[in-house]
Amino acid sequence: MNANRARPIDGKIVGALLVLLGIVALREGRRLYVLRETLVAGAVVGDDTFPMIVGAALLALGAYLVVAAAPPAARVELPSGATRAQMLAGAAVLVAYWVMVPWLGYTSSTAIVSVLLYRGMGGYRWPVAVLLGAVTTGVLYLFFRVWLLQPLPTGILGG
Amino acid sequence: MDVLGHLASGFAAALTPGNLLMAFVGSLLGTLVGVLPGLGPTAAIAILFPLTSVLGPVPAIIMLSSIYYGAMYGGSTTAILLNIPGEVASVPTCLDGYPMAQQGRGGVALGIAAIGSFFAGTFGVVILTFFAPLLADQALRFGPPEYFGLMVLAFTVVVSLSGISLARGLAMAMLGYLLSLIGLGMATGEARFTFGFEPLMSGVDLIPLVVGLFAISEVFLGLEEARVTIATRITNVFPRWADLKQSMPAILRGTGIGFFLGLLPGCAPGVTVFLAYDAEKKLAREPERFGKGAIEGVAAPEAANNATSSAGFIPLLALGIPASAPLAILLGGLMVYGLQPGPLLFQKNAEFVWTIIASLYVGNAILLILNLPLVGMWVWLTRVPFGILGPAILLLSFVGAYSVRNSMFDVAVSLVFGFLGYVLRKCRWPLAPMLLAYILGPLLENNLIQSLSMSGGSPLIFVQRGLSLALIVAAVLLLFISLALIRYTSRRLRETTAEEMAL
Repeated sequence: MNANRARPIDGKIVGALLVLLGIVALREGRRLYVLRETLVAGAVVGDDTFPMIVGAALLALGAYLVVAAAPPAARVELPSGATRAQMLAGAAVLVAYWVMVPWLGYTSSTAIVSVLLYRGMGGYRWPVAVLLGAVTTGVLYLFFRVWLLQPLPTGILGG
Repeated sequence: MDVLGHLASGFAAALTPGNLLMAFVGSLLGTLVGVLPGLGPTAAIAILFPLTSVLGPVPAIIMLSSIYYGAMYGGSTTAILLNIPGEVASVPTCLDGYPMAQQGRGGVALGIAAIGSFFAGTFGVVILTFFAPLLADQALRFGPPEYFGLMVLAFTVVVSLSGISLARGLAMAMLGYLLSLIGLGMATGEARFTFGFEPLMSGVDLIPLVVGLFAISEVFLGLEEARVTIATRITNVFPRWADLKQSMPAILRGTGIGFFLGLLPGCAPGVTVFLAYDAEKKLAREPERFGKGAIEGVAAPEAANNATSSAGFIPLLALGIPASAPLAILLGGLMVYGLQPGPLLFQKNAEFVWTIIASLYVGNAILLILNLPLVGMWVWLTRVPFGILGPAILLLSFVGAYSVRNSMFDVAVSLVFGFLGYVLRKCRWPLAPMLLAYILGPLLENNLIQSLSMSGGSPLIFVQRGLSLALIVAAVLLLFISLALIRYTSRRLRETTAEEMAL
């Protein structure tokens, strides 16, 4: 497998992120507190209480992760080369799928995306990928649309 | 009505053709996903969760429970035949199961695993039948402060789900709580954390979150690990009398350890399987056989695994506390249908609960039938290439996330959490505490606010009421027990796999 070995970078980054989220939660709690004081006279707790508690906890944990927590001994293997390209392609196809569905509809989009996924992630030759894509699209359509009667998007182009 | 009367009515409902079909389909699908290399019960239940959303509450929960049981059974197949544990709970099974497969005794190992799992699973459900109602009888003593105490007790589960670092587990739990806050506030109905973005008004739905975190991320991890398939032939799965005789004490001990420790909220199968395996090794006359294909080394952890899984239903149904990630998803499933697991569940939804309990007996029997004669088919399925499996799971996840509320926003949520889940799992940030906190967050908040409203804002209410105080003290005690068990299991995991794994 193509992989790089790297020290876990995440502890301090996530810590900083938690501090940021903690501040966001406290600010939201403050906004809700003001709202409670205005809307519900005499209430000692409300929608602001839990955000405040969670915000304070996030702030404390974030600070701890940034300042004091030691990174785990285990190293993280990051993907590289062909594996990374394959994974990025898979992720891009999924995002494209999400963009396509409202336009082309569920069935047409699934047919295209499934072929691309079998080709890109599975590494199958085009004819095999097309065959697998057609079978998967058919099975999913039969299961969700015909059997479970799920309304699936038809798209602007009616696919 | 007494317990047996309730159980009989439960069986009458569970054995209706529709519910029986759901138990069968759930067991089949759960085993199917469980036997796929690298996919464990959490991934199985996450991938298949959206399929149940179109069903009614009873058939849906029967199906989800059966998927959970099926995946537990299925997990042993890849552990024994391919030396690939889907989850930590299958790691000890690899130690002797795989050597048995290499010696041409893979079929016997699978047979013993199925029999041990059936015995332990059924034992667990029998105790659940008689024990859970006793706990639930305390329902009337539970007010908001007591429920808050229960939620604090549930929070100790975060410790056992934290994996390599408690700080990381707590951080993920806080993120889960934060996620649960998105949407309309329960006191004033005011929007929180939506920042004017309308789709967030109804909050982040559980199913897209689970699909993203546990199904989509699993595909990317599998792609990276370049999971391969290995040809294996199985001839006979029925153990000889001598094998059964040798395994039975191990199955009994594994069941005992798995079940009684499984009653502790937060004691997941990942912990008890190692304890059961080590106990067998210590008691053996020839401990040197372990690691080289000792049948007891398969029987004990498999029995412990299923006994703990069954025992987990007691705190889940009677107290609303899930012991593991798949049970947390199951708890979420119950809540999706408006059912609140906990002491009142047995009173408010008795028919539902007893149908589920009866269906657990049925599911165990179906799984034994599916696993022994059909083992050849499961073995064949382990050869499905990941190149087919990965895209199929992604496509299923996409439509599954959409079908819950017919919303492309939910699909976007599942994709975002899929990518995020991959990065977090890769960097060893445990996802289970996040899920648990997300599910329990609204309950914790609701009971906290109600309690503080009752006391005029004084937190002393939690220690002034006996039951609430007892629950908080139990939480503190369990915290220390969990920490000790985690330390033991982490050490054993490092010795066994030479790497850190999330429990």
